Amino acid sequence: MTDKISRRNFLRGSAYGLGALSLGAPAIHLRAQEPVLRCGVVTSLSGENRFGGNLTRRGYDLWAEEINKLGGVEINGDRYRVEMFYGDAQSRPASGADAAERLIIRDEVSVLFGPYTSGVTLAVQPICAKYSVPMISGSAESPNVWLEKPRFNFGMIPAVDHSAGRSINVIAEATGAASVGVVGVDEPFSKETAEGFRNGVEDAGLELTRFELFPANADLTPIVSNLKADDPDLVAVGGHEEVLINFINTAKSLDFRPKAILMHYGVTAAAFADQLGGDANGVLGISVWTPNLPYRDDLFGSASDYDELSHSRWGSHPDYTEAACSASGLVLQDAARRLGKPPAWERQARLELVEALEETDIETFYGPVAFEREGSHYHNNIRPVPVVIQITEGRVVPVAPGDAAQTELVYPLPAFS
Amino acid sequence: MVSKPSRRRLVATGLALVAGTAALTALPAFIDPYSLRIVTGVLMWAGLACAWNIVGGYAGYISFGHSAFFGIGAYVTGILMQSGVGMPFLATLPLGILVAVGVAAAIGGPTMRLRGAYFAIATWAFAEMLMQLATVLDITGGTGGLSLPAYLNEFFFYYTMLVVALAVYLGAWYLLERTRFGYRLKALRDHEPAAEAVGIHTTRVKVQAFALSAGITSLFGSIYAYWVTFIDPRSVMGPEITDQMVVMVLLGGLGTVWGPALGATVLWVTNRYIWSEFGDTAIYLPILGLIIALIVLFLPNGLISLLPGGRRGHGVLTRLLRKL
Amino acid sequence: MDVLLQALLNGILIGGILICLTVGFQLTFGVLHVIDFAVGGWVMLGGYAAYWASRLLGLDPFISVFFIFVVFAGIGCALGPLIYHVRTSRYARPDLMALAFTFGLFIMMRGGALWLWSFDSRSVDSVLSGASLSVGPVTIPLLRLSAFGMALLLGLGLFVLLYRTRFGMAVRAVAQNRDHAGLMGVDVKRVSAYVYGIYTGITASAGVLLATIYSVNPEVGVRYTLFAFFVAVLAGLGSVGGVLVAGLILGLVESLVGTYVGTRYSLLVVFATLYLVLLISPKGILRRGI
Repeated sequence: MTDKISRRNFLRGSAYGLGALSLGAPAIHLRAQEPVLRCGVVTSLSGENRFGGNLTRRGYDLWAEEINKLGGVEINGDRYRVEMFYGDAQSRPASGADAAERLIIRDEVSVLFGPYTSGVTLAVQPICAKYSVPMISGSAESPNVWLEKPRFNFGMIPAVDHSAGRSINVIAEATGAASVGVVGVDEPFSKETAEGFRNGVEDAGLELTRFELFPANADLTPIVSNLKADDPDLVAVGGHEEVLINFINTAKSLDFRPKAILMHYGVTAAAFADQLGGDANGVLGISVWTPNLPYRDDLFGSASDYDELSHSRWGSHPDYTEAACSASGLVLQDAARRLGKPPAWERQARLELVEALEETDIETFYGPVAFEREGSHYHNNIRPVPVVIQITEGRVVPVAPGDAAQTELVYPLPAFS
Repeated sequence: MVSKPSRRRLVATGLALVAGTAALTALPAFIDPYSLRIVTGVLMWAGLACAWNIVGGYAGYISFGHSAFFGIGAYVTGILMQSGVGMPFLATLPLGILVAVGVAAAIGGPTMRLRGAYFAIATWAFAEMLMQLATVLDITGGTGGLSLPAYLNEFFFYYTMLVVALAVYLGAWYLLERTRFGYRLKALRDHEPAAEAVGIHTTRVKVQAFALSAGITSLFGSIYAYWVTFIDPRSVMGPEITDQMVVMVLLGGLGTVWGPALGATVLWVTNRYIWSEFGDTAIYLPILGLIIALIVLFLPNGLISLLPGGRRGHGVLTRLLRKL
Repeated sequence: MDVLLQALLNGILIGGILICLTVGFQLTFGVLHVIDFAVGGWVMLGGYAAYWASRLLGLDPFISVFFIFVVFAGIGCALGPLIYHVRTSRYARPDLMALAFTFGLFIMMRGGALWLWSFDSRSVDSVLSGASLSVGPVTIPLLRLSAFGMALLLGLGLFVLLYRTRFGMAVRAVAQNRDHAGLMGVDVKRVSAYVYGIYTGITASAGVLLATIYSVNPEVGVRYTLFAFFVAVLAGLGSVGGVLVAGLILGLVESLVGTYVGTRYSLLVVFATLYLVLLISPKGILRRGI
C-alpha cells in the first residue's frame, strides 16, 4: 500500500518536474493543478493569548505532518497532501478577521482551523459564513461561541460551563471539602470558568466564601490576602497560565496554602509545571483528555502514542488543547472521506462538507467526537468527559472521579516545599 | 502672515484629488475582497490619523486617549444595534458622535489646562479608566464583548469608509488651512500665551478642536464595530489604537493635512504585508519596529517631506516660530 | 484589623515595586526630556536576562542583578547618543519623534523576545522565592520586601549621585538648561548618554526583581510602561523624590480598593485617581514636576 503511494507520488512529482522544466510555467500555474488540500490556521501567535494560540498551532501542525507522511488525506482512494497556511490573529478580533479573509482569498484554503479565544472566534465566524468556509476550532472553550448557532464553526472541546461546575462536585465528593473561594480574571474565558465554578459550588450545596473577579494586570496580593483571611478548604481560580503562575508565587510568598487548589486553564500545559517546579505539585486542574485514556485511532494510535509522538516533536508533553487540535484534523479527514470529492472544494462542495461535519461520529485518540445539532451548545463536541487532574511530580495525573483515577487525590495539600 | 497657496498649486491639488477620488471609487472593481479589506483599513486609519492630527498636529496637544472616543463610537453603535434595541446602523452614527463630542467637551476644559506630557498621560489615564469602566458595566457585555448583526457586504464598508474619510480630509483641509479657526489653532500651538495676548480665546478654540477630533474618531469607531462585528474593551479602547494613530501621523508628517493619510497608508500596508508574509512567526514585529525607528532617524519630518512641496507645513511653522 | 494591616503592607510593597519601575524613567525624563515608551521593554529584557542567567549559568537573581545592571547600562550608554540625536534634532516636535523612536524600539524588543524565546511565561527562582516573615498577624513576602529595599536604595543612591558628586552637578545642570550647561563646559551629549545608561541599568535590574516576584513573558512590557508613565506623572515629571510618594500612594490605592471594594474595580479607581489628581494639581502630587 505505502509502496504504491510512494510510487504514485514519485511519478506525480517527476511529471510536475518535467512539466515545469519543459514549459517553464510559473508556479501559479502548477498551484492550480497540484492535488493538495489547502488548510488555513487562524490563531493568536502573538499578543496576550499567544500561549494558548501557539499550543493550538502545535496540535494542528502535528496532524498535518503525520497525515502527510502517509501521502495526505485519502479521498476516493487518492491521497491529497495537506498544505497549512497561517494567519496570526495577534489576539485581536479585527486581525483575526483580516487573517481569515486573507487565507480564504489569497491562499485559497478550503477549510479553516480555528482560533484560541472566543473574541477572535466570534469575529471570524461571519467571514466563514460570507465565503461558506467551514472552520474546526480545536480550542474554543467559551460557551458564548456557540450561542448564535454558527453554521460553519465546529468546536472540539466541551464549553467550559460544562466542565468547570462538574469538577467542583467531583472534588467535593472525593475530598469532603466544604467551603470554596472562587476567583477569576476578568476576561471572557476565565470569567466564564469562574462562573462555572461558582455555579458548581451552589449546585453541590457547598459554602461559597468569596466570588471575585480581577483585572489581568492587577497585583494579586490583595486578593490572596482576602482568600487567606477567609480560609476556605478549596480555592478555585479561573485564569490563563501567566496569572496562574503568579497566583501560586503570590500565595507562596504570603504563606497561604489552602487544603486544595483548583485552576483552569493552563495547568495541564507542560509549561506550568516546568516553570513552577516543585510548587506546581498538588495543583488540581480540569482536562477532557489525558494520555492514559483508552481511546485510539488509525493515524495517531493510542492516546499514549500521541503523547509520545508530540513529546518527541515539540519537547514537551501535550495537553488536551493540543490533542483536540490534532483531533480536529482527524475530523476533517473523516468528513472529507465521506464527502468523496477531490479538493480544492468549491462553494457547493464546502456546503456539503459542513453537512458531512455535522454527521461526524468517530472515535479518535482524543476520544469520541460528534457535534451537537441544536441547543445552546450547537456544533460543540460535548462527548468528552472532563476529569480532575492533579500535578504529581511534574506530571498531569487524573485523580477523580474514581473510575478515571490513576492515583489518590492528595488532600489536604502538604506545606510548600 | 501665512501665505495663501498659489492658484496654480490649488488647481494641481484639486486635480490630484479628483483623480484620486475617481481611482478610489473604481478600485473595488479591480481587486480581490482581501485587498479591499486592507484598503478599507487604510481608509479608516487615514481618517483616524487625520482626526488625531487636528489635536496633535495643529493644536499641539498630544492626546494618548483617543482610543476612548473610538470605543465610545463602537459601543454606542454596538449597544444600539443589539437585538433588544435594534436601531438601524446609520441612525446610531450621529448618536455616537454626539456622545463623544459631549464627553470631549466636558473633559476638554479641565484636561487641556495641562500641557505636554501631562496632557498626554492624563488623556491616557482617562482612556484606561473608560476601558476599565467598559469591563465592569453590564450594558457593554463586560469583557465578554458584544457581537453585532453581521452585514457581509464589503462594498458597503469600503464606500462608507471612503466617503467619510474623504469628507474628513476635505473638511480638515478647509477648516485648518483656509479658515481663521485653523490659524488660531496653529497660533496657540506655536505660542499659547502670545496667541492669548492677541485676543484668541484659547480655551474655547482648543476644546473645539478636541471635540471635533473626538467626534470624527467616534464615527470611525461606529463603522469599525459594524464592520468587524465583534467588539470588546481591549479591541476598541486599548492603547494600541491610539499608539497606531500617533505613529501614523508622525511617520506621515505632523501638522500637515495630507501627511496622516500618507503615514496611515504606508504603515498599514507595510504592517499587513509583513504580517502576511512572515505571519507564521513573530519576526514581523521586530521588522516593523525597526522600520519605525529608521524612519524617525532618517526622515524626521515624516514621509511627506519626500513629496515635492511637502514641507510647506513645516515651512509655515518655522516662519511663525521665527516671528514670535 | 488584621486584614487592614495586611492590606496596608501589601499596598506599601506594591508601591515599592512601582517605585523601582519608575525611578530610572523619571531621571531620563528630567535630563533628556524623553518619554521613553520602551521602559517596559527594558523591564522585560532584564527579567529574561535573569531567567537565562539562572537557567544557563545557575546564577541566583540576587547575584546576576549586578551583572545585568552593568550590561544594560552599557547597552543604554551605547543607545544614548541615538536618543539624544533624535531628541535634539531641529525639527518640529523632537519630543514626539523621540517617543516614536522609543515606540519602535519597544516593538522590536517585544517582537524579538517573542520570536527568540517563544511564548512561554518564565518564572525565575531565587533564594528568597516564597520565603516570608510573619510579624504578628501580617505576612511579609521577602522578595517584595527586597524590592522595597531596592526602591529605597535607588532613591537614596540617586540623591547622593545627583547632589553629592561632580557628575551629579553636571546632570542637574543639563536638566536645568542644556545650552547653558554646554556653554559651561559640560559635555552634554556624554552626560545624556550616561544618564540613559543609568536608566536602562536601573530599569533592567528592576525587571530582574519583577521577574522573580511575578514572572516574565514577551508581552509584560506594555503593562509596566503604563504604570511607569502613571507613577512618573503623578510624581511630577522629572521629580525623583515625587516618585517615592506617588508610588506608595498608587500602591496603597490599589491594595485598599482591592481588599475592601473589590479587585475588579482597583484599576478603575487607580486610573480615576490619577486623572483627578492631575486636574487638581497639574504638576504632580508634590507640584514639583517640570
